[in-house]
Amino acid sequence: MNRRRLWTLVRREIQATFRDPFTVTILVSVPIGALLLFGFILATDVKHLALGLYDGSRSAASRRLAADLAANKTFDITAYPSSDAIGDALGSGAISVGVVIPADFDDDTRRSRPGAEPPRIQVLYDGGEAALAGNAEAFVNSLLQASAPALGDQARDPRRSVVPGAERGGGGIGVVARAVFNPGLEGTPFMVAGTFGFVLSFLTTLITAVSIVNEKLAGTFEQLQVTPATSIEILLGKLLPLGAVFAFDVALMVVIAGLVLRVWPEGSALLFVGVSAYYVLISLALGLIFSATSATAAEAVQKTVLFSIPLVQLSGFLFPVRNMPTVVQWLANLLPATHYIKISRAIYLRAEGLGSMMPDLLFLFVCGVGLIYYARRVIEARA
Amino acid sequence: MNTPIIQAHGLTKRFGDFTAVDALDLSVERGSIFAFLGANGSGKSTTIRMLIGLLRPTAGTIEVDGVDVIRRPRRVRDHIGYMGQKVSLYQGLSLRENVEFYAGLYGLTGEELERRWTALRERFDLGAFEKERSEDLSAGVRQRAGLAVATLHRPRLLFLDEPTAGVDVHNRARFWEIIQEEAEAGVTVFVTTHFLEEADYCDWVSFIDRGRLIANAPPEELRSRFSQGYRIDIDVTAEERPRVLQRLDGAIPAPELTATGLRVRLPKLEPEFLGRLEQAAKEAPGARIAIEQPAMTDVFRRVLASVASQDPRGAP
Repeated sequence: MNRRRLWTLVRREIQATFRDPFTVTILVSVPIGALLLFGFILATDVKHLALGLYDGSRSAASRRLAADLAANKTFDITAYPSSDAIGDALGSGAISVGVVIPADFDDDTRRSRPGAEPPRIQVLYDGGEAALAGNAEAFVNSLLQASAPALGDQARDPRRSVVPGAERGGGGIGVVARAVFNPGLEGTPFMVAGTFGFVLSFLTTLITAVSIVNEKLAGTFEQLQVTPATSIEILLGKLLPLGAVFAFDVALMVVIAGLVLRVWPEGSALLFVGVSAYYVLISLALGLIFSATSATAAEAVQKTVLFSIPLVQLSGFLFPVRNMPTVVQWLANLLPATHYIKISRAIYLRAEGLGSMMPDLLFLFVCGVGLIYYARRVIEARA
Repeated sequence: MNTPIIQAHGLTKRFGDFTAVDALDLSVERGSIFAFLGANGSGKSTTIRMLIGLLRPTAGTIEVDGVDVIRRPRRVRDHIGYMGQKVSLYQGLSLRENVEFYAGLYGLTGEELERRWTALRERFDLGAFEKERSEDLSAGVRQRAGLAVATLHRPRLLFLDEPTAGVDVHNRARFWEIIQEEAEAGVTVFVTTHFLEEADYCDWVSFIDRGRLIANAPPEELRSRFSQGYRIDIDVTAEERPRVLQRLDGAIPAPELTATGLRVRLPKLEPEFLGRLEQAAKEAPGARIAIEQPAMTDVFRRVLASVASQDPRGAP
């Protein structure tokens, strides 16, 4: 390997990458977009949910409760004249959640001394929108629990709350977020850690998929092959600069996740960026293999898109691998992304060290060596 | 050194059932311009790509500049320059940046590169385009730039695959001037083209048809074998005619008389005959001499026809 030749190749790749506005846009916007989409919009708050309210009690306590519900941006509140009207509105889809405060609410509150029955209100959801309902339930639940003590000394035991089923909420404090695409019922940090796996797998292969095939079509790849540049130099000439760009992307995502989503890695950020950078190389090598084995750019992109389907379905990014049938679990564990996402979550959520993630790291290491070796063979191949 | 710089024997390339190149024997002399002609899809590019080690032959041997290209394709890379059908400049990079990139791969940097590039830039008329991005260059300029890039490292052997495709007549002529200059400087040029008339710029012509060589000779020899030869018309007055005839006395075949003067048909133009013609022109200042050479296109039409009559595969 000749360093000057390698530097020549690396420099050209950097020039090409940064002079293409589309590539630069993708490299910056996709990581941020995915992070916000998966981490923010899908994983957490449901905002401006239409909530219908029937206040049958018309007491100071019930008005206070209504005001608390309205104070949170989560709900847009509409008043309804009867509980039947609430039912109709739910049926027609005008509202997503209905809250019925019964006529005896105030009495109940007053009577809710230790040993007495707690005050009751009714919360209605559209069962067809189970996930949405889950979210709304969690919110109404937590809100009501938070406001219960404020209703005076009447509701001291928030655990036996005003809301049916609220026992699940626990503590009456904090938000139990249920993401639409997050059946693991885990929150933003879980999604953020997984999003790294998704972005680094998908975007790297997508960016590299066209790189060699385009050079082939332009004739520059053939030209490279008749220069003294070796196949390992050509390969590294692609891997190193793009690896650096994606390492920057990882850092960018860590910062955005921290500043915007308030999710910082629990474990070592350095370890995380290091493992991520290595994973990027694996993924880039895979993209280069797609590219070098394709006759057209379209074919290479199709391969990338096909590859991204198991990436989303099997990697554990959205659906927990442990819930899959055994055979599918085997398949899932063949994907490097599955192991990277496991590591990513281990560092991000549980601050685990190298020891516990050794099997996954080992798998990634072997994959990386194998894929980079194979990519070199493919680049070198003479028809 | 008199050993041929390229020697290929029994060179064959099959893609599945299709035989793209069929048992080709090639021999290219050092310092010559070797034209490799043929229609589109006749196997020209496949052959050139095997010669430079981009493609592994199904059978046969190749030796380029003393290197067994099939076994050691990388060994020959410092000696050869290659310009493919698509001139391989990187889009988005200026001409200058492309030059620096390829020079860097050949280990050419600093002052050495400056000197080499300055010389090439002058000779190839590229000075005005240095800062332009490669995609903005016109076809003719791009072609010259491609050649400049391919010759940066002073290769002993240049492989040019259809270098003049898509280039206008003026730029094609300019391009061939440069190629001839390279050859005069001792560089061997192996060039494919489907412009048959370009064979005249070359020292040797190999004509490939459906993977097989059907002609392999200097252009003059092909002309004499596959055409009615040169036609020389001499317009001359009755008074001057005897003087001209005297000069051309002994020429074979003998000149015919025409309404305006004389006509000679010759399979080849020998220097000796041209000398006589020059003398005759001096002695008969009123004479107007026109030499018509058979078009290469016609020559190849005849080559093809003669092959078709023997080839069981039938006419192309």
